[in-house]
Amino acid sequence: MGVRKNMQFRKELITLVTVFIILSVLPLFIYKNSYFIGLLITCLIWGTMAAVWNFTMGYAGIFTFGQFAFFAVGAYISGMLAKHLGVPTGISMLAGGCGACLVGLLIGIPCMRLKGSYIALITWALHLVMGPMIKVAGPLGTGGSTGLMEIPSLGIGGFILSRTSLMPWYYAGLVLSFLILIVVYRFIFSSVGLGFVGLRDSEEFAKTLGINEYKYKLLVFGISAFLTGIVGSFYVHYAGIISPRILGLDIFLLVMLMLIIGGIGVFPGAFIGSFIVLILNDLLRPLEAYRFLIFGAIVIVAIKAMPEGLLGKFNKLTDVSQRT
Amino acid sequence: MMEINIWVQQIIQVLISGIVTASVYAIMGIGLSIIYGISRVFNFAYGSFFTWGAYLAWFLFSTFSWMNYPIVFLIVLPVMFALGMLTERIVVRSLRWRANWQVTTMMVTLGLAFFLDNLALIIFGGFAKPLPPIYRGGINPFGFTLSVQDLLMLIVGASVMIIFGLFLAKSYIGMSMQAISQDMTGAEIVGIPIKKVFSYTFGLSTALVGMSGILLAPRYYISPHGGWEPFFRVFVIVAFGGLGSIRGTLYSALILAILEAFISWSLGATWVLPFWFLVFLGVLAFRPSGLMGKWG
Repeated sequence: MGVRKNMQFRKELITLVTVFIILSVLPLFIYKNSYFIGLLITCLIWGTMAAVWNFTMGYAGIFTFGQFAFFAVGAYISGMLAKHLGVPTGISMLAGGCGACLVGLLIGIPCMRLKGSYIALITWALHLVMGPMIKVAGPLGTGGSTGLMEIPSLGIGGFILSRTSLMPWYYAGLVLSFLILIVVYRFIFSSVGLGFVGLRDSEEFAKTLGINEYKYKLLVFGISAFLTGIVGSFYVHYAGIISPRILGLDIFLLVMLMLIIGGIGVFPGAFIGSFIVLILNDLLRPLEAYRFLIFGAIVIVAIKAMPEGLLGKFNKLTDVSQRT
Repeated sequence: MMEINIWVQQIIQVLISGIVTASVYAIMGIGLSIIYGISRVFNFAYGSFFTWGAYLAWFLFSTFSWMNYPIVFLIVLPVMFALGMLTERIVVRSLRWRANWQVTTMMVTLGLAFFLDNLALIIFGGFAKPLPPIYRGGINPFGFTLSVQDLLMLIVGASVMIIFGLFLAKSYIGMSMQAISQDMTGAEIVGIPIKKVFSYTFGLSTALVGMSGILLAPRYYISPHGGWEPFFRVFVIVAFGGLGSIRGTLYSALILAILEAFISWSLGATWVLPFWFLVFLGVLAFRPSGLMGKWG
């Protein structure tokens, strides 16, 4: 088992590194086209987010729909700290991740004991209330429904990235995305990941060996909230602006589509999916309102056409298909 | 003395408005509850059907000047029923019993919700649409005013619940629904056509939510994404009452709608949503099984 796992780890790691090497060379050919660089940065941000979501849902089997809420918490905390208190962005991003993690644990502690579909409902409810909560919390400095503007740019060791040149942003995002995915990998191929494999292969046996499903799920949920919060705080310093519209259904639909199109496997599924979806999104832009109608239809058709392909890798631990 | 009297009157007024809202929430909650309790599918497009019910009513009112509410209900409810059955047939049925189908159906209904919302946006536009009041004017029993519209909403809500209760207890389909919600395999063994009942359940649930959409539209406006907030409230109600329990849904609709009315009266409308969220967190932390249901 251990050897096989190690080999698989190496194989997956090679895929990961290859994709990132390609991504790091790619801009050298198109660096003059800032439109493409911008698109690539967007792909990196949402792709990383989708990959973390994928890790939580596809690997650990936690059916979370609350990733955007964590994204928003991370973004808002980091943006507010940097803007109102002048906290260095490195620290504020970390604080954003920790804040998102805290929210994740608060939700996760009562929620991770419940069955898969309930987790989906509860995390979705979290997503739905997060927008109104941010609006109500306007006096605390969230900027209410207009949002937070003029958020300081990302600073790395005294060097502040300017928003006019996109290349440094691209590489900063690439490094961050790489680090996040490495963390995800370390988790999947660690004793925790092994625990999930154990739970999947023989739930009873794994439990008698002392594998605590609740504890493991909570851990993964917290980590995933933390990482998503970090992605959110990177986004906020990149965009310089955040409003409750980030919790709108349109972006949610896009990222869910990345997951569905990419397929649920560890990597590079959702990550590649993000490139497909965002390029498609750009191509369909002339259609305006019809674009999201089409995306909604794609979701339905894609799930109906490949329900096993999409969710085939979900493990047995979360198999709720038994009739009750 | 006079002061106290006014105060008491206000409280009674708030109480009544809470009860009226509760009757609509209860209709909506029952729809959500049966779809989960019987067909085991959580329908994320529920809020979109809420909006669509109201939009269809608006369409009828704006097209025919002689339109009135009874005819609107007579036309819209069967349409919603058919729409729900169609959803079950086309979108949900083939996914049932596959691996992780409960989550797949959630995602697919979420896709449907986005589709319906954006379709509404394209057809009806982004501007909020009003519906005419159900009835203008009010009556003054015992010194406080009660609008006839509220009274009608209450009557409609109560009679829907009574009819639904009778339907569950007396009719063949209703009894099949009960049997399926108690023991699906057993129901199938004794020859209950469960697929058919699932279809009817979807239809019924969609008709109920469409009805509550029409009933609430004269109070609030209709907008393409406007269904999500009532959907969230009703989800909290159903979670609080216990997912799948109809009586629990009734009680929690009553409790939460009255509390909501008092909060919006004493603290202001901005606090209503945080209140719902707090209730939700409280339910999660202290009694995730709800008042009288069982989770997980």
